[in-house]
Amino acid sequence: MASSTLTRPSLPATKAPARSRTSGREGFKINWWLTALMLVASLTVLLPLYFTVAMALKSPDQIGTGTGLAWPTPMNWENFAAAYVATNFPRAFMSTAFVTVFSVLGSLACSSLVAYAIARNWNHRFFRGSFVYLLSAMFIPFPVIILPLIKQTALLGLDNPAGVVFLHVLGGISFNALLYIAFVRSIPVELEESARMDGATTWQVFRKIIFPLLAPMNATVGIFAFLGSWNDFLLPQMMIADPALQTLPVVQMLFQGEFNTNYSLAFASYLMAMAPTLVVYILAQRWVLSGVMRGAVK
Amino acid sequence: MNASVPASLPSRRSLLRAVGLAGAAAVLPLTGCGAEAGRQNGVTTLRFMQNKPEVVDYFNQVIKDFEALNPDIRVIQDFNEGNFVPGLVRNDPPDVVTRGFAQATADFVKKGIFADLADLPAAATINPEMQELISSWGRYSGNETSALPFSVAAAGVIYNRDIFDANGVAVPTTWDEFVAACETFKAAGIAPIYGTYKDPWTLAQGMFDYVAGGSLDVAGFFAKLTATGADISTAAPESFTNNFGPALPKMLQLASFAQGGAESKNYADGNAAFAKGQAAMYLQGPWALSQLIAANPGIRLGTFPLPVTNNPEETKARVNVDMALSITRNTPNMAAAQRFVGYLLEPAVVNTYNEKNAAFSPLKDAPAVTNPQISGLNHSIKEARYFQGAVTYFPPSVPVNNYIQSFVYSQNGDQFLSALDDEWRRVAERTAA
Repeated sequence: MASSTLTRPSLPATKAPARSRTSGREGFKINWWLTALMLVASLTVLLPLYFTVAMALKSPDQIGTGTGLAWPTPMNWENFAAAYVATNFPRAFMSTAFVTVFSVLGSLACSSLVAYAIARNWNHRFFRGSFVYLLSAMFIPFPVIILPLIKQTALLGLDNPAGVVFLHVLGGISFNALLYIAFVRSIPVELEESARMDGATTWQVFRKIIFPLLAPMNATVGIFAFLGSWNDFLLPQMMIADPALQTLPVVQMLFQGEFNTNYSLAFASYLMAMAPTLVVYILAQRWVLSGVMRGAVK
Repeated sequence: MNASVPASLPSRRSLLRAVGLAGAAAVLPLTGCGAEAGRQNGVTTLRFMQNKPEVVDYFNQVIKDFEALNPDIRVIQDFNEGNFVPGLVRNDPPDVVTRGFAQATADFVKKGIFADLADLPAAATINPEMQELISSWGRYSGNETSALPFSVAAAGVIYNRDIFDANGVAVPTTWDEFVAACETFKAAGIAPIYGTYKDPWTLAQGMFDYVAGGSLDVAGFFAKLTATGADISTAAPESFTNNFGPALPKMLQLASFAQGGAESKNYADGNAAFAKGQAAMYLQGPWALSQLIAANPGIRLGTFPLPVTNNPEETKARVNVDMALSITRNTPNMAAAQRFVGYLLEPAVVNTYNEKNAAFSPLKDAPAVTNPQISGLNHSIKEARYFQGAVTYFPPSVPVNNYIQSFVYSQNGDQFLSALDDEWRRVAERTAA
């Protein structure tokens, strides 16, 4: 915004008709076409959400009737209680939360360290090579290596949520390091040099200078890691041997038999599982967007 | 896959495990609360994997009863079947497994994953005809009993008793009566059959399996076909072309009795519509009953085996072994696992489960089913007039359901059957090498 107004000072005469359409900030004119388009586009999110909420409140005989658009009356709040009991929600929630919290923390710590090391040692062949090596991991589809991974983690006693955390952190390094490296390069080396002049060690430079400056990228990586581990199905399903430690997405399979789906309980349960994701997204949304933009424009 | 571990490995393995555990324990306090399988304070912990989420609560109660009688055994139920193969890879599979028994499970049997249960006292109480449903898929080393049937699901034509009564139609026992019944409904403006062609599996298990199973010896056909191997051609006497031909016109006739727009309806649509009384008959198995009842608790349903010929004595029901109990061969808790399987197969337990879940008990002297929704199949089950669906014999690499769907749309029977012959040969060539 700021730069575009600076580069176009010579057009004030034609200002009124040309700018009223594009700049709502000064003219307070609403672009109705665009607004309508956005409204329609927002339906792609709101409509499924509406169905989820409506479905969660239906009794089994209300599901089959009508177009599905009708709001259920009376509302069947017991679905939430039933789903809560059926999934043993608190235990599954704690297990999922454990996996998610440590995956996010682990991803932030490991990926930023890796990225810092690689970005600041770019002149060394070894670090350039390791960058390519890490990137190449992105080309290996996960299902290809899952059985060997299961074998290895079982040998290490990691066939539990801790193993899932470990693999999430490890698996995320290639993509997250890619994001971080681009960002670290945009941080002027002079900042570090001045810190070193004052006697900071490499660790102190990272901890006190670099890591705080990475904040927008931390938000982005954190959100990716959060969504990835909160919603992950395949890895916990295959890795966690003890059914008592299973995560929410896997436990929710309970509502989906081969021929029978308990839609209302399933959707009630999905809503409960979605809540933390929504909360985190709403809280962190500002940082996500700014973070994505910072990464995009290097 | 489940090969025994070399003698030198355990020490290294336990070392690695110790290192991994120490590392994990340092970071996370949660791992400690995982129940360690095996023996603790004289109590043996069994893991029981079953693949039907809808009966989890039921089995929790069964397990509670079992534990009350056997205080030295604790049973953990796991319905996450996706963890079965990983369990084998970890060499830590569940102790007792129930799965639907067909080709996929038979593959595990052939690899010797399951223990021989022939010596269990419970094995002698099983109806041999029902045990044969399992044995026919092949036995490990030729004579082992790797699985005992626990629940047999029988499928036929689900019908709406109110619609039948209102139109004065009796349950048909011959093909001609069946066609006449359909004509009656059609004339009365009622869709005779509710079709859900959008889900190809409903066509496969419904009209294709029923008509094929009613008109030819499916098990015998596939036994010969498998023996022929890669030599199969459309001209061979064992081919699909030369055996399934006469069945196809009846399939198309069934299709002609479906409601308009069956192509755009799926299984869930079908359940909702049939529950609302939008058709007289529905070619589905007992698994649909609970969905129909949930959508309309007042509906009065029955099931009859589809008569495909005009001889009522030839009418057969489609069955599948919905649950078969197995014990994994390498379980360290063999004695406890056998006691649990023995308990599950006690008449009071197994008969009650099947009565409550619209299925048939595999025991020799099981009482006739009283549930009016499936009691119409009693006769077929008692006389052992049943077959396993033809589509269940196909290897997963043949998209047979889609071929059936495209046959129903295009009505080109020759193309359909020669495609099946080609597909079968392709797979046979590949697996023979």
